[in-house]
Amino acid sequence: MASKKTAQKTLRLSPVLDLNEATALHEKLLALKGSAVAIDASAVERIGALCVQVLIAGAKNWQDQQLSFTFAKVSDAFVKTTQLIGVDIDPLMAKEI
Amino acid sequence: MDMNEIKEIFFQECEEQLAELESGLLKLNDGDRDPETVNAVFRAVHSIKGGAGAFGLDDLVSFAHVFETTLDCVRSNRLEPNQDVLKVMLKSADVLADLTNAARDGGSVDQARSRQLIKELEALANGELPQASAAEPALKAAAPAPAPVVAPPVNEEGFQPVAFSFEDFEADEPALIEATCYEIVFRPKSELYAKGNDATLLLRDLSRLGEMSIHCDTDGMPPLDRMNPEAAYFSWKISLKTDKGEDAIRSVFEFAEWDCDLDIALAGGSAVDASEELPMQPVPFDLSMLDDAPAGSADEEEQITTRDRDAAVSAAETASNVLQMAQSSTRAPAEAQRSATAAASAAAQQAASAATPTIRVDLDRVDRLINLVGELVINQAMLSQSVIENDTNGTSSINMGLEELQQLTREIQDSVMAIRAQPVKPVFQRMSRIVREIADMTGKSVRLVTEGENTEVDKTVIDKLAEPLTHMIRNAVDHGLETPEKRLAAGKSAEGTVRLTAKHRSGRIVIELADDGAGINREKVRQKAIDNDLIAADANLSDEEIDNLIFHAGFSTADKISDISGRGVGMDVVKRSIQALGGRINISSKPGQGSVFTMSLPLTLAVLDGMVVTVANQTLVVPLTAIVETLQPEASAIHSFGATQRLISIRNSFCPLVDVGRILNFRATQANPVEGVALLVESEGGGQRALMVDAIQGQRQVVIKSLEANYTHVPGIAAATILGDGRVALILDVDAIVAASRGQSLKPEMSLAAAG
Repeated sequence: MASKKTAQKTLRLSPVLDLNEATALHEKLLALKGSAVAIDASAVERIGALCVQVLIAGAKNWQDQQLSFTFAKVSDAFVKTTQLIGVDIDPLMAKEI
Repeated sequence: MDMNEIKEIFFQECEEQLAELESGLLKLNDGDRDPETVNAVFRAVHSIKGGAGAFGLDDLVSFAHVFETTLDCVRSNRLEPNQDVLKVMLKSADVLADLTNAARDGGSVDQARSRQLIKELEALANGELPQASAAEPALKAAAPAPAPVVAPPVNEEGFQPVAFSFEDFEADEPALIEATCYEIVFRPKSELYAKGNDATLLLRDLSRLGEMSIHCDTDGMPPLDRMNPEAAYFSWKISLKTDKGEDAIRSVFEFAEWDCDLDIALAGGSAVDASEELPMQPVPFDLSMLDDAPAGSADEEEQITTRDRDAAVSAAETASNVLQMAQSSTRAPAEAQRSATAAASAAAQQAASAATPTIRVDLDRVDRLINLVGELVINQAMLSQSVIENDTNGTSSINMGLEELQQLTREIQDSVMAIRAQPVKPVFQRMSRIVREIADMTGKSVRLVTEGENTEVDKTVIDKLAEPLTHMIRNAVDHGLETPEKRLAAGKSAEGTVRLTAKHRSGRIVIELADDGAGINREKVRQKAIDNDLIAADANLSDEEIDNLIFHAGFSTADKISDISGRGVGMDVVKRSIQALGGRINISSKPGQGSVFTMSLPLTLAVLDGMVVTVANQTLVVPLTAIVETLQPEASAIHSFGATQRLISIRNSFCPLVDVGRILNFRATQANPVEGVALLVESEGGGQRALMVDAIQGQRQVVIKSLEANYTHVPGIAAATILGDGRVALILDVDAIVAASRGQSLKPEMSLAAAG
């Protein structure tokens, strides 16, 4: 199943990813299971630790399934927050940008 | 969960914390020196501050912060919580409550008052003891502060509050503290996020303290499909190089202290050691992007300065501590402090777990349930009645089952009523604030003693109790108690005592308000009543009747009208609200020794144990609590008295006989007492009456249906109920009947003597 090649899907993140969004984000990610995912974080203005947790869990999950999980576009706020809280997203950054 | 819901919960918690705060302070005021009490008080203020910070309620945060600082001095035994100190603290608790209310409902608070209190608190924290005149130490404290930019309003005491600035503290701060490296382990719990806080915000604040490297531990992450998106999995190991000291670090986490595991230690060597062990990410210095308000840079700056000030204040407070640590650079002080903090938080957790678990339920839901149970009770009564009517042999198994059903419904009803039952404590606590304020205004020294705070009574009764109690307390302090000079002259202690007691008495709650003041000046009351044409100049009134005159509308004996009382609206309003609750109020007053107001209220407004009686073919219900005994009158015991009055002799004492049917105009002529039954009732004003009814049907619990809400007020009738056969029965207002028997006709407005 893991090897099944499917088209890459894009998940566009909401501008504000706080406590209220964590569950929604979790569900969205679960819905995308089984296909390669590109995360578009270009609109993110604020992201809380809970949503970072969800994304990191997602990254691990996709990695285990040997599917690609990349951050296609990221906003400044997104990068700075992940840096601030010491979560390294560099390996997940899409290489084309 | 949506933010507004969280905010609503915060305010609910605030209310609880404020109650906790006040009761703790009062305990301290009574000489309790248990460190746990001080901790409880501290925690209450701290939690309010923490929550307020999360919602950006700046006024609340800044006041709570100063309050907390002073409380911390008490906690660390740097400040002895004597009467003067507690006076300031109790006032601060009041202001904190005001600020909380203002934050919730909008509106404004008395700025001058809170500013003055901030200064008084600061003065206490600085080790200056308040003196008899509060203005003096406050001025002293304000002296080093820079001149206020805007002249603040002068308040009543002629004291001009001076704006207080935290910046002064920076001068006190040691000029240079060597930058020290700390290792911080921060493990948030899920509660931290659930309360609307976020680890990122804490880390952002932390990063502003100095050079920070961070490692995020993501090993605890469960797989995506098994994770709870609202639970905390990440933990952080941070090494921070800062010159602000450990307290500044702690103050970053202070709002979240109880929702995370926090370990702060001085790094053994340099930061390099730590980064060797774990891959640390250096955190970039420019974090402006992440601010809450990216648009308003002025706003942001202000935010930062506030935070810096906070940090500066805490730094200054423990400056010596920090200095010591920095110089010796041994781990020992840090260790000691850490274990102390751990012990404190453990104690806090213990206290929290000791409380019985509760849930919050919408009052509407409970009311709906109660209503349904009421209907159930009526339905059950109807069912058993129809079974009894159709049952010829009388011992069928249906009957047995019905009896069990009856017991069950009664139990259900009791339990449901218990849900609505609440202790009177919150109302009593509010009263202590009123006493303080009135005592301040009138310059009297008053002590409020409360008893039986845990007496439970229906929520509706509690809600409606606050207003009349407030009026009465005001009256007791303003009119009842004398000035300290007069008290001393009369050989009493300068401090007056107001005693507020609640207790259960035969299915009712009795609330007593006693003061040890001068008592009612009967001459004055009488004269005033004559002046106001309330009574004839030659009226012959008993002491009791004179006392009861003060319940008359428009009555005031105060010579001058003050802000507090004396407008003559008060006691009549009190009486009316107590009566609206189905209660009675009484006074007994001894000149020179004080007055006692006794209120007796039903425990619930929903059900009532009643005696079902027949009067002139009508079914009536007499509240069981009013009935002392029932008896079958004999002809020899009936004596005529005057033209229409009759007396019944019961065990050699005479008691007026009241024909209920005649008074309610059910029949035109008086019934023959020998053919009926006499119910000996005790009216609230004291004195017994024999109410004459035709027959007793039985005793049962009835569900009260308000007559006022469904029809209109009927004189002599308190409410109505639905009986088992589906008919409506009226519930007798015993006191109104007794009053009417004294010659006054039944009027919607209670007559003067009815108060007796």
